[in-house]
Amino acid sequence: MGIAVTWRSRVRAHFRRLGTLGTACELAASASVAVLLLVVGVLAARGWRALGWGFLANPASPDPTIAGVGPAFVATLWMGVVAGVAGVPAGVGCAVYLEEYAPPTRWTSLAKSALANLAGVPPVVYGVVGLALFVRGVGMGRSLLAGALTLAVLALPLVIAAARQAVQTVPRDLREAAYGLGATRWQVIRHHVLPAAAPGIATGSCLAVTRAVGEAAPLVVVGAVSLATFFPLRPADPLTSLPTRIFDWSVRSDPQFAALAAGAALALLAALLTMNAAAAFARARLERTAR
Amino acid sequence: MTGTDRPVTAPAPEVPILSAKGLSVRFGSRTALTGISLDVPRGRIVSVIGPSGCGKTTLLRCFNRTNELVPGAKTTGSVRLEDADLYAKDVDPVDVRRRIGMVFQRATPFPKSVFDNVAFGPRAGGFGGDLHGLVQEVLEATGLWSEVAGDLDAPATSLSAGQQQRLCIARTLAVKPGVLLMDEPTSALDPTATARIESLVDSLKEDYAIVIATHDLQQAARLSHMTAYLDRGELVEYGPTETLFTNPREPRTESYVTGRVQ
Repeated sequence: MGIAVTWRSRVRAHFRRLGTLGTACELAASASVAVLLLVVGVLAARGWRALGWGFLANPASPDPTIAGVGPAFVATLWMGVVAGVAGVPAGVGCAVYLEEYAPPTRWTSLAKSALANLAGVPPVVYGVVGLALFVRGVGMGRSLLAGALTLAVLALPLVIAAARQAVQTVPRDLREAAYGLGATRWQVIRHHVLPAAAPGIATGSCLAVTRAVGEAAPLVVVGAVSLATFFPLRPADPLTSLPTRIFDWSVRSDPQFAALAAGAALALLAALLTMNAAAAFARARLERTAR
Repeated sequence: MTGTDRPVTAPAPEVPILSAKGLSVRFGSRTALTGISLDVPRGRIVSVIGPSGCGKTTLLRCFNRTNELVPGAKTTGSVRLEDADLYAKDVDPVDVRRRIGMVFQRATPFPKSVFDNVAFGPRAGGFGGDLHGLVQEVLEATGLWSEVAGDLDAPATSLSAGQQQRLCIARTLAVKPGVLLMDEPTSALDPTATARIESLVDSLKEDYAIVIATHDLQQAARLSHMTAYLDRGELVEYGPTETLFTNPREPRTESYVTGRVQ
């Protein structure tokens, strides 16, 4: 009884300290963390046994005991790099143009709102675009490059949105001081705006690219092969990826494949977390040099 | 390239180096300045006084075309530097800003080293001479050299507020402008730092025409040869500082300089 009273009075004191809104926020925060732990917990519980060097190195196979994610893993990393190389410079260039060069016309504001809306278009739509544009239009076929470029297009509006925001937060004082010393627009952008915006651009770009390579839907539409038994290295190699591999395994009836899907999901999570950690590291470094 | 190779004090001081005629500025539908006409003589310090929001900063920013960086700003009338119309179609605002330097109210050192802060302007202008010598020269002129010479690679943001403002003046001088615009350069500084800036401004008057906006009437009286009183975007009175403070023509000027509320 005594213990129960202490417990209850503690809860009451806690509630008094935080207030109604504070307690509600605290509950929401706890619930969010719980969901995150649940995701990792479920994946780990179901996919733990699948993980191992063989799983990471082996190609996909109809036999669940030897099937692995090797080629899919490599393909996802490959597409992440290509999508980043293709999408980030284009996105940053577009953002700098919109923020620093574009005259304040109706066309500019139309372009800005169109690009902002593009960031909310469902990924599967990009798959349809990639299929029409890269696979059939340019004749790349269902290749790794077609997939990577589709992901680059998907990441583009996200990169633009992040880069625009980063450029906007560069203080006007800094720009005007540089202009006041007789710098040209390009000199102001090159020496002051871009270095000050670099940490935000790096983080935003990395998030955009990891978002894109984590998508399965657009690559399913573009035409990922379900059984990649080879290691994709060249741009023209058939398209495969980790998310589509997870999708493929998770729709099979054999429970052994469900465990493989969970294991592959863990591998994907680990890969994306590593990329985001790299981004955080890059940001910290850029901020140090900017200061 | 710019002002230093011209004799700045040689001709009669009455010949203006900078001259505004019928200058008006609007920001969207808001009028900031109306019909300002004012001459800045060579080798003189002109102060611009007036209540907050009267257009002091806007007037200064018109002189080196930094107003047009603000979206929606519209300037009419003319500003001439010697005999060149600064707002002519074929004039590049970048050239204007190299000839008319500006120091802002808040010191805004770039997040770079002391050296790179001073060297930025000359580098941007394609300076091909002895950059180190130039940096030393302007840091000496602003009295900073002895304080920072040991560590020119130190981040400029690590300097004190007063040092930062002197650094901003130094980096403006490094571009070798003929005219120096200063927008309330001491408003964020303590009295000691203010005194240093003031004596610096006084020592610079030999080589530069200086226009200084200030809300500090005593500073205007101490420093300047000529004073302009602005109120609500209009130039109320402009003349020798002593006359303006002791025997103003306009009743509005008198009530402002004597501190009577209108």
